[in-house]
Amino acid sequence: MIRNQRTGTMRKLYVHPLPVRIWHWINALGFVLLILSGLQIRYSGAIQLMSFATAVQTHNVLGGVLILNYFVWLLFYLFTDKIRVYHPELNPAKHFRGSLRQLWYYGYGIFKGQPNPHHVSVYRKFNPLQSMTYQIVMILLVPIQFYTGVLLWDVTRFSASIQLFGGVRVVDTVHVVLFIFFIGFIFIHPYLASLGHTTMAHFKAMVTGYEEVEDEPGRGEPR
Amino acid sequence: MKTAICRIFTAAAVATALSLSAVLSEGARAAETSGPAPSAADETCLACHGQDGMSKTFPNDDSVSLHVDGRAFAASVHGPLGCSSCHAEIDLANHPGGGKPFASARVFSIAMARVCSQCHEDKAKLFEGSVHASALRAGNLAAPVCTDCHGEHAVVHKVPTANDVSCRKCHGAIFDAYLQSPHGKAYGKPGLMKAPICADCHRAHDVSPASTGTGLRDACLGCHTNAVEAHQKWLPNTKLHLQVVSCPACHAPTSQKRVDLRLYDPVTKRDVTAKDEQARLDVPAGASSGTVLDSKALWDLMRGVDRNGVPGRMTLVGRLDVRSGAEAHQLTDKSKAIRDCVVCHRKGADPFKNVTISIIGPDGRPIRYEAKQNVLHGPGSVEALSGFYAIGGTRIGLLDVLLALALLAGISAPVAHLVLRRLSRRRQSAEQRAAGKGE
Repeated sequence: MIRNQRTGTMRKLYVHPLPVRIWHWINALGFVLLILSGLQIRYSGAIQLMSFATAVQTHNVLGGVLILNYFVWLLFYLFTDKIRVYHPELNPAKHFRGSLRQLWYYGYGIFKGQPNPHHVSVYRKFNPLQSMTYQIVMILLVPIQFYTGVLLWDVTRFSASIQLFGGVRVVDTVHVVLFIFFIGFIFIHPYLASLGHTTMAHFKAMVTGYEEVEDEPGRGEPR
Repeated sequence: MKTAICRIFTAAAVATALSLSAVLSEGARAAETSGPAPSAADETCLACHGQDGMSKTFPNDDSVSLHVDGRAFAASVHGPLGCSSCHAEIDLANHPGGGKPFASARVFSIAMARVCSQCHEDKAKLFEGSVHASALRAGNLAAPVCTDCHGEHAVVHKVPTANDVSCRKCHGAIFDAYLQSPHGKAYGKPGLMKAPICADCHRAHDVSPASTGTGLRDACLGCHTNAVEAHQKWLPNTKLHLQVVSCPACHAPTSQKRVDLRLYDPVTKRDVTAKDEQARLDVPAGASSGTVLDSKALWDLMRGVDRNGVPGRMTLVGRLDVRSGAEAHQLTDKSKAIRDCVVCHRKGADPFKNVTISIIGPDGRPIRYEAKQNVLHGPGSVEALSGFYAIGGTRIGLLDVLLALALLAGISAPVAHLVLRRLSRRRQSAEQRAAGKGE
């Protein structure tokens, strides 16, 4: 069901269902704490955010919580029609043009006061760059990070899988490389989220579920 | 009168002294003759070998005593067997003088000790698999044989005291460290559990090299049965720690540590021996004892191992251990054991400053080659040391650089973008104001 609520020239569009919002904020808090505990684990002796033992315990528990949380996200999208937001653009030329347009906006248009080329709708909440990034992040990188994390959590129990992966150092290196990627992501993501029509617009939307979109006829309807 | 009394007292005193002396010497004779007497056949041998000072001289001027204390032998566990049971090779017609010649007293003793296996086949079999037997086969004449621990003739059943343990003859420094440990201090004292001595952990006959296999860890856990559960309460990845960190590495807190990277065959699940790989191991087999392997040499080594064997088959398995046998015995009370994870899990931690690469030598002991610390931290270690990683302690430096770049990009890109947006907005506002004035 699509809920619209007119507010002057902007209208509110229900884009973020409750399970997605719960998943998102648990994920956000979990990622920050996982990064902090991960930094403590890797850089013990250089930084002292918490004890090594606390960091390991925190990292393990949060890892478990986020794996369960991932399934909240996965099951929600698998069993609702909202999965359409993750459907890839099958026309590469179209996808490429859309991505380039979005890149041009972030790199040039935004400084010139040009409008965002992407218009949010219920089934198109991601711009082409986001769509590509989130597909890679959620379907590839996050599962790999969880998988390598589980292997490192109990190296003896999962020794066969670790061997298959190429050894514990290979598993750890993959985990750390992704950790580095997520550290970059954790800074870039909220900044991009602040580029709505107001700085806090997207943050509020992820709390209330409603995105404020320009009131243009024909927008916001299902594709 | 006075003189007469003195004479009587003197005579009485002398008589008493003589009687006492007679009683004491009788006692001494009785003591000398107590226990079983040698058999008639053995007395024949003892007619010569019972004489003090009888010895045999070898071509290298070594000499060995041929004197046998007949009573002690008769009282020993082998007494009922008689001399000929062990010395069956003696042909009285040619004795003395006949028999096989020996180069030295030690060669003679080693040869004579082989006779024990005739009856003690099981123990001999265990011994044959020991590091001592391997050393002997490798030509190390100092390696102990049966008689070095059990004696030659007066072999008796006894529980050794800490002072007469034969191991200390060769392993003196280790034994001294043991005596200062809780085990050494508790040995022989009454208690709920009997404190261990050498053979309890290292085994009496099938002594394996201390730094290979899981025998010693199993020995610790054999008595300290709740140790695994006790560690699981606070130590993450307990099983892994118990596999790759030797017990003394933490329980001998003052010991110097080292990381030993051992060539391992994951297919056969055993350490690679020099014998197996001699033809293929270019670097270790050719390296002198002073060779220090760096990252590149280690990379070449691992590639060399794979080149002529099954590609990708060999790997290096790391283990954190103490540097010497004496340090392995400097155990302390468990309250003083290392419990601080950061001792190892930080960059520059002491245990990772000493690195060796090893393969199992022909005598079962590891042959070690010194390696530079950087073998643990270089990017090449992802392949060469895929099976060994200690969080924090052996982290790859290149990934730290990548992290710094990610942090720099993650912070500076949004800040730069934000600043540019603000500046461009200000300019746009100024332009709009100027345009408004113009109109």
